[in-house]
Amino acid sequence: MATDFYDTLGIARDATADDIQRAYRRLARRYHPDVNSDPGAEDRFKEVSQAYEVLSDPAQRSRYDQFGADFRRVAVDADRPRGTSATQGFQGIDIEDLLSGLFRGRGPIPGADQEAVLELTVEEAYRGGHRRLTLPGTDRQYDVTVPPGVLDGQRIRLAGEGGRGAGDAPAGDLYLVVRIRPHPRYRLSGRDIHLTLPVTPWEAALGSTVPVTTPGGEVKVRVTAGSSSGRRLRLRGEGMPNPRGTAGDLYAEVRVMVPKHLTRRERELFEELAAVSEFTPRRT
Amino acid sequence: MAAYQLVRPVVLSAETVAARSGLHPDLVRRYAALGLVESTTDRSGRLWFPPATVPVLARVQRLRDGLALNYAAIGLVLDLLDRIRVLEAQVRSQQRWT
Repeated sequence: MATDFYDTLGIARDATADDIQRAYRRLARRYHPDVNSDPGAEDRFKEVSQAYEVLSDPAQRSRYDQFGADFRRVAVDADRPRGTSATQGFQGIDIEDLLSGLFRGRGPIPGADQEAVLELTVEEAYRGGHRRLTLPGTDRQYDVTVPPGVLDGQRIRLAGEGGRGAGDAPAGDLYLVVRIRPHPRYRLSGRDIHLTLPVTPWEAALGSTVPVTTPGGEVKVRVTAGSSSGRRLRLRGEGMPNPRGTAGDLYAEVRVMVPKHLTRRERELFEELAAVSEFTPRRT
Repeated sequence: MAAYQLVRPVVLSAETVAARSGLHPDLVRRYAALGLVESTTDRSGRLWFPPATVPVLARVQRLRDGLALNYAAIGLVLDLLDRIRVLEAQVRSQQRWT
């Protein structure tokens, strides 16, 4: 591991034993795999624990300060004159083995479940399909098949891809939690898709068929004559698909729009309409 | 006449839980006595555990191993993590309207 133990704990090289302990406790709480289900947390937790194991032991710490990353490869008393043969029996023992025996002496422990967010646009959630994703903070990559019509908050389980188990215990599972990004035009409510349908005053008054872009492609919507703003047109089955049942519906809400600037001719026609029409929407 | 099938509730003995968790059965009973895992006692005094006990025991071991927590603290952490899970699910369902 190339990272520096002091950097891992975020402390200076002249940190006191108290500083080391404080930094370790704080980071261990933050990255413990049961407290933090982020897939990168487990590796961070292990790095932090490893750094603490070394730096909290004065003898190991001074060897680490002296030899850096190679400190374990240097024999324990290489810097001391060879003593009696009695001490030589200890030289073959790997310090890490000894420590891991002390710290992990409780047998196999299954790994924790992990959670990662899978962000999709409304269109991607509608279509589904293959996605390659890289988990941030790790070098893990997955090819995931997203079923068409996933909803916000749904979880996709990748069995055995969570935290590693200790010993020969099984790994946890990795859950991808679907988050659907807010869309400028579409609003989701369950499997129903809502959108606003801007129409001209004459389309709304006379009735017309207008093209509407939906996540599934362009569809023709018939606006019946005399549709005011707020009227909702339902397109059955044009909402989010449902792999196990009926698809949602699409609701297009009519919104009558007027031109911000009128040409002279448009103004004349509107003025004529105003003079002729007896329509009074404010009378109840 | 309708036929009813007797359904045995899915519960595990301390020995089964222990075998699935890689622990000693006595340690499983001890965790039950400390209230870290749920259990029921039948008339003969035997302890029975729901299947979800196995992942809870794994969590107990990870918390003990990784944070050096004592059993009282582990019990508190388990309760708090459960409450956080419920609250996060609530927040998620309220955000459903994207």
